[in-house]
Amino acid sequence: MKGVVLRFRVMALLAGIMSLLLWFVELPVVYLMDAPELEAKVKWIPFVHGYVYAFYVLTAIHFTAKARFTIKRMIAFILAGTLPIFSFIAERRVSREYKF
Amino acid sequence: MSQSKSRLSLLFSKLFPIFLVLIAFVSFIALGFWQLDRAAQVKELQKPYEEQPLVALSKVSKPNSNLDGESVNRIVEFSGSYVAQFDAPNQIDSKGVRGTWLVGLMEVDGGGYILVVRSGTNSDLPRGDIVVTGRLFHRQYEDLSDRSAGQLSRLDPSILVGDYPGDYYDGFVLAKSELRDGISLEVPRVLLDPAAPTIPGYYWQHIAYVVIWWLMALVVVFLPIYSRFREREGGANEGRSS
Repeated sequence: MKGVVLRFRVMALLAGIMSLLLWFVELPVVYLMDAPELEAKVKWIPFVHGYVYAFYVLTAIHFTAKARFTIKRMIAFILAGTLPIFSFIAERRVSREYKF
Repeated sequence: MSQSKSRLSLLFSKLFPIFLVLIAFVSFIALGFWQLDRAAQVKELQKPYEEQPLVALSKVSKPNSNLDGESVNRIVEFSGSYVAQFDAPNQIDSKGVRGTWLVGLMEVDGGGYILVVRSGTNSDLPRGDIVVTGRLFHRQYEDLSDRSAGQLSRLDPSILVGDYPGDYYDGFVLAKSELRDGISLEVPRVLLDPAAPTIPGYYWQHIAYVVIWWLMALVVVFLPIYSRFREREGGANEGRSS
């Protein structure tokens, strides 16, 4: 269980960081600013975020299934990775509940 | 009667979740394919533009219809007579030079008006039947100047509908040549590169979304199985404890 929790926590932090970068750096640069040079510098964010989220979903399913969570909690954990901050909240809760 | 009703509701309660799961599964798979298509389109757009053969305007565009994405950039030919001419200030050509373009409003033989960018310098409006050959572009969305009498704020036929009621072809044509009675009208033409249609995002970004949508489709199938597994496990634990 320790490894499963650790993997989930790492991915939750990464997904949270990538969500923050996507919402507050990439999207404003692309849709609010007219700066092609800056746009080229942040173009890695959306696809790294995409793959990180995919791995986050896998670790979230693995962790919630191992922890015998209900379907509702499992879905909540999966969706937590789509919005900034929510995956950080999920990570904090898990780290409080599972101390090794 | 009540037994068959309860059997029906039992059947419904069993089938409805399966139906929902199926809809969600098919939707996620379809979204994945949509992103896969966009990824393929992004790759296609990175290739250099290939010129297509000259075509009659009526073959690729119709009055009062939106311009098809595949029709943009086509070299078209049509004939008609000019009814008005306008200035379009602050337009930018292929070399990045800003200037005022001369735009004619032509009534096309067979019906409908179309905007034709004729020249980058002042020139008289030719009378009579003119055969135009030029590249078809999508209409502009942003105003580049103020609109006033004889001046177009952007190359968009919709802004002329009030003054010249009738049917309009979408977009505008950048004239390469104009012929009157077989004789070419020599005016300095505006040069503009073929429009580069863009799809937001990058190839690997769309592929990442394909992965996510299809992963979600698997999750949707996995959740009911997990739910059944939990129920069984709960029942087994209860059995063991009793």
